[in-house]
Amino acid sequence: MTLPRSFAPLFASFAAFAAQVACSSISLDQPKPQPVVAPVAPAAPPAPPTWAQGRPDSMARSALAPHAPVLTVTAAEKIPLDRIKVPDGFKVEVWVSGAPGARMMTRADNGTVFVGTRAIGRVYAISDTGGKREVKVLASGLTQPNGVVYKNGSLYVAAINQVFRYDDVEKMIDAYATKSAQPVDMTAAFNLPTHQHHGWKFLAIGPDNKLYIPIGAPCNICEPPATNAQIRRYNLDGSGMEVVARGVRNSVGFDFHPSTGELWFTDNGRDWAGEEGPQDELNRIGKIGENFGFPYCHASGIVDPDIKKPDACDGVTMPVTLLGPHAAALGMRFYTGNMFPAEYKDSALVARHGSWNRTQKAGYDVVRVTATPDGKYANVTPFVTGFVDASANTFWGRPADVMQMPDGSVLVSDEQNGAIYRVSYGK
Amino acid sequence: MRSAALVVVLALTCGAAFGQGNSVSEAVAVCSACHGKDGNAVLALTPSLASQPETFLVSQMILFREGLPQVPAMAAVFAKTSEQDLVDLAAYFNKQTLKPGGQARNAEMYEKGAALSKRGSCGGCHLPDYRGRDQIPRLAGQREDYLAATMIAYRDSKRSGTDTTMTGILYGISDAEIKALAHYFAQQK
Repeated sequence: MTLPRSFAPLFASFAAFAAQVACSSISLDQPKPQPVVAPVAPAAPPAPPTWAQGRPDSMARSALAPHAPVLTVTAAEKIPLDRIKVPDGFKVEVWVSGAPGARMMTRADNGTVFVGTRAIGRVYAISDTGGKREVKVLASGLTQPNGVVYKNGSLYVAAINQVFRYDDVEKMIDAYATKSAQPVDMTAAFNLPTHQHHGWKFLAIGPDNKLYIPIGAPCNICEPPATNAQIRRYNLDGSGMEVVARGVRNSVGFDFHPSTGELWFTDNGRDWAGEEGPQDELNRIGKIGENFGFPYCHASGIVDPDIKKPDACDGVTMPVTLLGPHAAALGMRFYTGNMFPAEYKDSALVARHGSWNRTQKAGYDVVRVTATPDGKYANVTPFVTGFVDASANTFWGRPADVMQMPDGSVLVSDEQNGAIYRVSYGK
Repeated sequence: MRSAALVVVLALTCGAAFGQGNSVSEAVAVCSACHGKDGNAVLALTPSLASQPETFLVSQMILFREGLPQVPAMAAVFAKTSEQDLVDLAAYFNKQTLKPGGQARNAEMYEKGAALSKRGSCGGCHLPDYRGRDQIPRLAGQREDYLAATMIAYRDSKRSGTDTTMTGILYGISDAEIKALAHYFAQQK
């Protein structure tokens, strides 16, 4: 994790931030003087990497660690499509392959699907002409450009703190790809924190024409800096920032409810606090600025074992539903199409990337959540499954996002195989 | 710096040899100019590839190709190499036997490095004998100068790898501490 020295004095809760940074270091030497406005935090305790923070001593020898990403192309014929299970009447096919690390998706007016990634640093442009798809690399060498959203001819890309706008993007794919054209760099206007851990973004433009951006906690569990653990919205030029949700550990998926326009979002529960949780959440913002509990209160009212305060869950908005232990609920969109059976209308489809911090693998699927528009009576059912072999405790695919197409079919990105599947119904 | 420049020159010179239908054995010859024929590097600041996990080697080659970190010479080499060749190269170097450099042990640095490694739980990911696994590199027996330079690059956010773990864990560590860690890891078998 990198300390953005030049911005450091601006942080309102710099003491907490400094403590968090200190906890990320293994240094035994005396700390160097830091340009701080608050006293330097006391000597650092032994410090695990960010993903291992909060791990109890009893699990210090645990072999659980994040899974390795696959950065090479997986050929379409190597993808075991027949292992994917969908409900009766549905069909699944490989829509495209050859896009290593494919995660968040957005579709432009003329049908180009833009796809963000993490480790490989690319944004793909996938053209779809007459059923034939071509993968091009729109941008490369970016730091975890997970967040992509298209609006009115422009593609917005978020790569940790960097924000770029690719104008007239569908006509200029080759120009951007060869760097003969440059995107508009809006990084300074958005002024996002530079923490890489949980710093990858999901993007959406709301019915209010504002750009919604999540800013994760830069740790597994910590008192986050005041700039983090929230979802913000901005005018499209980066002005007019507002915090719309607080106490959000790491959201990598959200959408606006088709009938209320309210933002619903996924949030990933903390690690190293047990096999069974605290579970991931699906939340609904009923009121701007609501508090969703991190780091004190998780899931449906689980008090954190490490970061404590009195009445930890007071004033915390409880989730619409829980989405499984360590399941990594990421991309989420409401289904509004006419292709699927009527019961699918307005239900939320959620890509669960799959667990690492759990002995028995969980997630690795797409689930469907039905609930009333006010977020009550939620029910979670499997939708696209078969990516995990429960008896062998192995996985072969990792759904990262879902996106509805104009014909009502749904695309599902699989980061592990660099592929996108198309789920359709009937015919 | 002279050796670093040499790396660039060799890689640029050899870059043209890739991607023209050459077999993996010819590609190995290109790599060997700097990384040693059997993956035991003899040039300063150049990593030994022998016995490294295959996933780690493939990931590093892809990241170099993508300009993460930006090392133009390496990017040029890998841009012209098929991914199957990268996978085959990784398999080749994984199977080579690592021959430790045989530098004398400095007891004080070794003990300091051992304490730092314990404190940082380095063996949690790199495994207790530091042989590495999957995307996580082998540290045991690696060149000491390369280990130190790479940890400094991680600390200073000059490179990151497939995730951000190393940048985080090395934040605020001194050059002297990094040198002790490098000495300790290089001394492992």
